[in-house]
Amino acid sequence: MPQEYETFARDSAHLFGGKEVVMTLRDLTPGRRKYRGINVRGVVSRPPRPGEAVLWIRSVVGNRDPAPCSVRIVEELPETFQGLPYSDFFEAMQRA
Amino acid sequence: MPFKDLREFLARLEKEGELQKFDEEVDWNLEAGAISRRALETDLPAPFFEKIKDYPKDRRMVSCVLANLKRIAIAMDMAPDTPMRELIEEYLRRQKKPVKPVTVKTGPCKENVLIGDEVDLLKFPVPVIHEGDGGRYIGTWHLTVTRDLNTGWTNWGMYRHMLHDAKSFGVLAPAPKHLGTMADQKYAPQNLPMPVAVVLGSEPITTFCAATPVPYGVSEADIAGGLRGEPVELVKCETSDLLVPAHSEIVIEGEITPGDERDEGPFGEYTGYRSGLASPKPVIRVKAVTFRNDPIFTFSCPGVPLDDSASVFSVNKSAQFLDELRSKGLPVTGAYLIVEGASHAIAVSVKNAYYGIAGEVAHVIWSARHGLLTPSVIVVEDDVDPCNLQQVFHAMMTKCHPGRGINKIEHATAWPLIPWLSEHERKHRMGARVYYDCTWPVDWDRAELPVRQSFAECYPKEIQEKALRKWRSHGH
Repeated sequence: MPQEYETFARDSAHLFGGKEVVMTLRDLTPGRRKYRGINVRGVVSRPPRPGEAVLWIRSVVGNRDPAPCSVRIVEELPETFQGLPYSDFFEAMQRA
Repeated sequence: MPFKDLREFLARLEKEGELQKFDEEVDWNLEAGAISRRALETDLPAPFFEKIKDYPKDRRMVSCVLANLKRIAIAMDMAPDTPMRELIEEYLRRQKKPVKPVTVKTGPCKENVLIGDEVDLLKFPVPVIHEGDGGRYIGTWHLTVTRDLNTGWTNWGMYRHMLHDAKSFGVLAPAPKHLGTMADQKYAPQNLPMPVAVVLGSEPITTFCAATPVPYGVSEADIAGGLRGEPVELVKCETSDLLVPAHSEIVIEGEITPGDERDEGPFGEYTGYRSGLASPKPVIRVKAVTFRNDPIFTFSCPGVPLDDSASVFSVNKSAQFLDELRSKGLPVTGAYLIVEGASHAIAVSVKNAYYGIAGEVAHVIWSARHGLLTPSVIVVEDDVDPCNLQQVFHAMMTKCHPGRGINKIEHATAWPLIPWLSEHERKHRMGARVYYDCTWPVDWDRAELPVRQSFAECYPKEIQEKALRKWRSHGH
């Protein structure tokens, strides 16, 4: 079974185009550890590329886009981003 | 007699038909949430899950423990059918007689102790409660314990906690929430970590009090003692000096370090919507977990009314507002934070209304610390029971003039979870408020006021009795 993740995005269009983007991924591997969060720099593709992990995109309020994508993780990032508490997380990610 | 622990309370709920055990397997991932939401929307018993997917038999979950008035009355050791107004007044009476907690050497929550590398929060069935939530929520029905660095005052609050991984989780508690105030104003300026303890499954009144809005510096533990009529037994944490209820099911000890933040949210909230966006929020790094044998994990499933917080707020916040209004000398006869209104609306009844009283009531509500979450105030006369939504709505539609009766207040501070705020307003906490004056204008001739037509008001007593007898003879 291929690895699956989900991510939350304000404007999913900026995830595409073959460029590297910073994201927080939730690991959807079934079992007790499902939904573990990791910060990554990766490349998102739609339609999904064979051999890459499946990625589902959710809106900022959690609605899931039914079209699947894939993600190639370039590097895993530190657990935390620099940002003021309760500020805009998506802006903090873009700065990372 | 107050309940010693959650288990005693659950046994009583079961006896009263207010608890349903599920011995078949239930998935922590959405299914337990769906069962709970159904229970809340159709007034079913509190679900108790005895077999959780992916987890051994000694891990159990319960939700909706204080989701209706009956369960709150039982928790307060009162008759299950106690009316709302009586419950509010009784809460207020007991709150005014606080009882200090006592410290004990140990307690059931120390039956298992895991420290440092042994900690793994995923050994507990932390649920994904709603489709679309940002993650698994470990704190939705619990108490979060923190201490003021300078004064030593201990705060019990209830703030949502999203699990990040086996050893960390987030917290939503911006100032003026007490936890946020302590972290930002006391610990952060000195770059000190703030100890935190999250307590799941303590006896029902302690959790109830964690959701009670009291002023900064007032001890929820003392109030819990007053409500119980007996002191709460507290025990010291393993890795800090914080004290936690000794009979709790699970105690998670950790700390918040200034500048340590991760994304948290969105989450289906008490407003009835999943609306709060993901944002960086402080992280609690876990240092120890202690728990009872066969621990019971407690959670709430917020959403459209009702849910636990709406029900609890309708008692404790109503009482706090009532007390506030009375302390200002206003001729108030009742106050009720409307449970169907997601904490956003309160109905207040007044006697001997005078010109401008509705505005005075509204501004007292908004000047209270917890008034930020209640932007709509409905003021009725005392022939209306503020706890009766049907009567309140009738008064709004028949006595509140659309022009002079609805009073909008622009440029007010907003609570960012309110769903009608735009993204810009939410970001800058810009809001508005309104009060509905449902009293007859004072300059109307009293002799010509419209007369309400109800069974109790438009028939002589003897005719009412006669009518009731006739109905009874037909079995009604």
